[in-house]
Amino acid sequence: MSDTPVLDDRDKKERYETLVDALYQDVYRYAYWLCKNGALAEDLVQETFLRAWRSLDSLQNDKAAKAWLFTILRRENARLYERYRPDLVDIDDQSIADLDENEPDQRLDRRMLHEAIATLEKDYREPLLLQVIGGFSGKEIAEILNLNNNTVMTRLFRARGKLKNIFIPGSDSDDDLDVADLED
Amino acid sequence: MDDLEFRKRALANPHDTDEDFVAATASTPERMRLVQDTQALDKRIADTLNAVTIPADLASRLKNHQPRASRPAKPVWTRYYALAASVVIAVGVILSIGLQSANPSAADLQLHDDALRHVYREEPRYDRATNDLSWQQINAVITEAGGHLREDERIKTMHIKFANGCRLASGTGAHIVLEGTKGSVSVLIVHSSPVKTRFDVNDPRFAGKIIPFGEGNLIIVGEKEEPLETYEALLTDAFEWVI
Repeated sequence: MSDTPVLDDRDKKERYETLVDALYQDVYRYAYWLCKNGALAEDLVQETFLRAWRSLDSLQNDKAAKAWLFTILRRENARLYERYRPDLVDIDDQSIADLDENEPDQRLDRRMLHEAIATLEKDYREPLLLQVIGGFSGKEIAEILNLNNNTVMTRLFRARGKLKNIFIPGSDSDDDLDVADLED
Repeated sequence: MDDLEFRKRALANPHDTDEDFVAATASTPERMRLVQDTQALDKRIADTLNAVTIPADLASRLKNHQPRASRPAKPVWTRYYALAASVVIAVGVILSIGLQSANPSAADLQLHDDALRHVYREEPRYDRATNDLSWQQINAVITEAGGHLREDERIKTMHIKFANGCRLASGTGAHIVLEGTKGSVSVLIVHSSPVKTRFDVNDPRFAGKIIPFGEGNLIIVGEKEEPLETYEALLTDAFEWVI
């Protein structure tokens, strides 16, 4: 056996581990909010990184790794769970860290927001997750979700409008926006 | 930029740094307030989304391609994790928990969820299966799962169409699927901490049971009208742990 394959394997392992270190937390958060269950999320992340490992050679540019992983994860979620559990709306909030233990108001806010995000329709929740957790631009989100940019921006607008309305009722109803004109 | 367009862009991305948006924001106090309010909301959203607790050791397990851990397994089991046992006889779909007499613990619920996920994953495979399996094939799976199924004429007359090892996060076991009177019926035999007490697993379509079963648990899932207790009785009679 020549040395080259060993070195290749070592390089691949190193590249993979760097990827894990850099992105596993965001990938897990995205998985969690996508399927709204900690155990399912962990399985999804495992499956995602396993597939990433197997096809690591197909990732040409590490800067695109996050979008690549999120896309794999979305596909795995659809393949494994979504079609079986379309009605899952309960969120496993044991997985949510209580960071504001000494501030009941903030805790209440977070709980309300938590529930509001969890119950957002998937069409609105998903672009929001990609923007806030993934840090993706509208164009990148459009590519990941296979939508056009206008549709993504409209869905983001509506997602925040719905969440904003919880804290300031009537503040940002999207009734005054003709969404049909904005979505392509 | 008119107000409608501005409003849409502010809510779609309150951190937009495009020149035209920044200029439009500065043009009126109302617009500035809208952007500030939306940015404040966005911080709350980000805080909430990021407040998810990341499972301990997830990174190292991903690096080692290890599955989600739940309880320490015996060394021999780690070698055979792919051969877990689920004696599953049913078309499993969405299971929700109906409590009968006691509240399941968190670990019990985890077992329920694990079994559910496994059924989801395997259903397309066993749904296509049509051939009866031989007793040898069935017992090979049971054996790998740490058990033995004594030959039983009542079981042998059943149409058992699928048998495979499985690995659940809660434990390992065997998965067998057979045709019941109303459709597929599933029984999972899983080597894991026995549940505190038996409890029902069901959803609008399916019914099921999770039963403490010696060294592990027996999970049976089937259609609502399926006489699940029949399978429970048969398996209780014929199965024994050999680990």
